Amino acid sequence: MQALLARRNIVAVGIIVFAILPTFANAYIVFVANLALMYILLSVGLNMLLGYAGQLAFPNAALFGVGAYTSGLLRLEFDLPYWITLPAGAAFATLIGLAIALPALRLRGLYLALATIAFAQAALWVFGHWNSVTYGGAGFRVPPMDFSPLPIDPPTGIYYLSLIIVLVAVPLGWNIVRSRIGRAWVALRESEVAAETLGIDLTRYKAYAYVVSGLYAGTAGALFSALLGIVTPESFDLFQVIVHFCMVIVGGIGSLWGGVLGAVILVGLLEVLRTFRDLQEIAFGGLLLFTVLVVPGGAIAMIKRYLPGWNEPLRRIGKKR
Amino acid sequence: MLAYLLMSGIATGALYAMMAIGLVLVYRSTGHINFSHGELFMFGGFIAYTFFVILGVPYFLSLILAVIGGFVLGILSDRAVYRPLIKAPPLTMVLATVGFSFFLKGIARYFWGSMEGGDYVAFPAAMDPSPIPIGSIMVFPQQLLILAGAIVFVVGFTIFFRMTRAGKMMQATSENPTAAYLSGIRVERVYTLTWGAGSAIAAAAAVLMAPMTLLSPDVGFQLLLKAFAATVLGGLGSMPGAIVGGLLVGILESLGGGYVHSGVQDVSAFIVIIIVLILRPAGIFGVRNIRDT
Repeated sequence: MQALLARRNIVAVGIIVFAILPTFANAYIVFVANLALMYILLSVGLNMLLGYAGQLAFPNAALFGVGAYTSGLLRLEFDLPYWITLPAGAAFATLIGLAIALPALRLRGLYLALATIAFAQAALWVFGHWNSVTYGGAGFRVPPMDFSPLPIDPPTGIYYLSLIIVLVAVPLGWNIVRSRIGRAWVALRESEVAAETLGIDLTRYKAYAYVVSGLYAGTAGALFSALLGIVTPESFDLFQVIVHFCMVIVGGIGSLWGGVLGAVILVGLLEVLRTFRDLQEIAFGGLLLFTVLVVPGGAIAMIKRYLPGWNEPLRRIGKKR
Repeated sequence: MLAYLLMSGIATGALYAMMAIGLVLVYRSTGHINFSHGELFMFGGFIAYTFFVILGVPYFLSLILAVIGGFVLGILSDRAVYRPLIKAPPLTMVLATVGFSFFLKGIARYFWGSMEGGDYVAFPAAMDPSPIPIGSIMVFPQQLLILAGAIVFVVGFTIFFRMTRAGKMMQATSENPTAAYLSGIRVERVYTLTWGAGSAIAAAAAVLMAPMTLLSPDVGFQLLLKAFAATVLGGLGSMPGAIVGGLLVGILESLGGGYVHSGVQDVSAFIVIIIVLILRPAGIFGVRNIRDT
C-alpha cells in the first residue's frame, strides 16, 4: 500500500491529472492549475538558489517581474509571437540574474540578504516609475497569445505550453541538482572553506545558481504576463517574495520535490484567500514562521518519514538548528 | 531652500537613526538582523493611533503608551519567535522574521486597515501644524518635536546603557555572551530585554513620525529599508554609526529629492545600500570584527 504512494507514482498521477484537466474542469480551475504550474517553476528555481546553494538572496520576485515585463512589453509594442517573447523574457531575466550575481558574489549571509532586498525594491521602483517604458504604476494590458496555426484558444494554449515547460524544467532541475553542479552547491552551502579546499570554484558555482534561478523565474514571469493578460508593479512586490519563500520552505527547503509540492499546495491557499489581502498575509507569514519553528524540514520531511520511495540525495538543510 | 531641505533631512534622518539604533542593538547582542523591525515600528504607530485618535488620549500620553506597548510586543515576539531560534543560522532567522513581519502586517491590516477606507489612516497633528520661522528658515513644529524626541531617546538610551545595571549587562552580553553567562548574567533575559528595547524605540519613532505622514500597514518596510541603509552606511553593528548613518541617509534623500528629482527620495536608500555593500561593506565607522555571517 505504502509503496503505491512512492514519489514516482504520485508524480505520474500528477502529470496525468494536469494533462487531462482542461477536458473536464471549468475555466477557473484551469487558470488556477496554470498558476500552480507557474509557481512550480518559481519554486524549483528559488530552491536551487536558496535551498541547494544556500544563498540567502531575495532577487527572485524581481526577476519574475523582469521576465513578465520583458515578454509583455515585446508582445504589446511589437506584436511578436509567443515563441519569441517567451524566450526573450526568460533570457533577459537570466541576464539580470547574472548581473546581480556579480556584486552578490562578494557578499555573504546577512549582507547578501540586505543587498538583494535593496535590489528587489529598486527593481519594483523602476517598474512603477519608468513611465515611458513600463507604463508606471497602472501597468499595461498584454494582448492574448496567438497560437495559430494551431487550432486552440489562448487559455488552453498557455496551459499546455506551461505544462510542457514544467515537464522539461523540473526534470532538468532534478538532473542539475544531482550533477556535479548540484553537489558543488551543497558543498559550498555547508562550508565555503571546505568546498574551496575540494577545488570547487565558488564564484563560478554561485554564479550558476543565480543564472539558473533567474532563468526559471524569468520563464515563469513570461508565462505569468500571458496568463493574467495584465502586468502591474504590485504583482512583484514583497508579498510575492514571501509567497515564493513560503512555497520553498513549507514544501521543504533544499528538496526539489518539496518545492514542487509546496507550490501546488499553496496556490490553493492563495486562491481561497484571493480577496482578503490581510488574511493572505497572516496565513503566509504565519505558515512560514510555523514551518521554520516547528517543522524545519517542511512537508517533504513528514512524507519521507512515513513513506518509502521519496528519498533524495544531498538533503540535510533545515534539520540543523 | 538648502536650509529648509537640510532641516527636513535632519528631522527624517533622526527617525531613521532611531530605527537603526533598534536594529543595531539587536544585531550586536544576538548577531541577527530583525527583518520584522519595520512592522514593530508600524504596530507602535497604530497603538498610538488607537489611543490618540480613537480613544482621545493626549498625544504625549499616547506616545508613552505606544512605547510601553512596543516594549511588550517586543518581549512577546521574543518569546514566540526569536528565543527558539537564537542559535539558528542566519538563514533560518531571516526567514522566521520575514514571516513574522507579514504576520504582523496582516494583523494590522485586519484591525486598522479599513478604518478610514483604503489602507491609509491620517494621524492628526499633535500641535499647531503651521510652520514657525527660526531665523530665515520656516520650520514645522513636528520636525522640532521629532528632533527633540530623538535626542531625548538617544541620550536616555545612552545613559541607560552606560549607567544602569541592566544596560551594563546588555553591553557585557554583546561583548562576550559566554563570559557574561559565566559571570552570572542571565543572557536569555538580556536578549529579551534587547528585543523589547529595540521595539520600544521603533514605536517611539513611529509616533513621532506619524503626524508628518500617513500611517498604513505597509509603512514598516520602507522604514526598515531606510534603517538598513543607515546601519550599512554607518557600519553594521556600530551605535555611533547608526546615528550618523541615519542622519546622512535622511539628508541625502532630502537633498536628492529637492535638487535632483522627487523620485530620488524613494530610491536613495537602496542606492546607498547597494553602493556601500559593493564598495565598502564595513561602512563609515569600519566595524572591524564583523561577525562572519
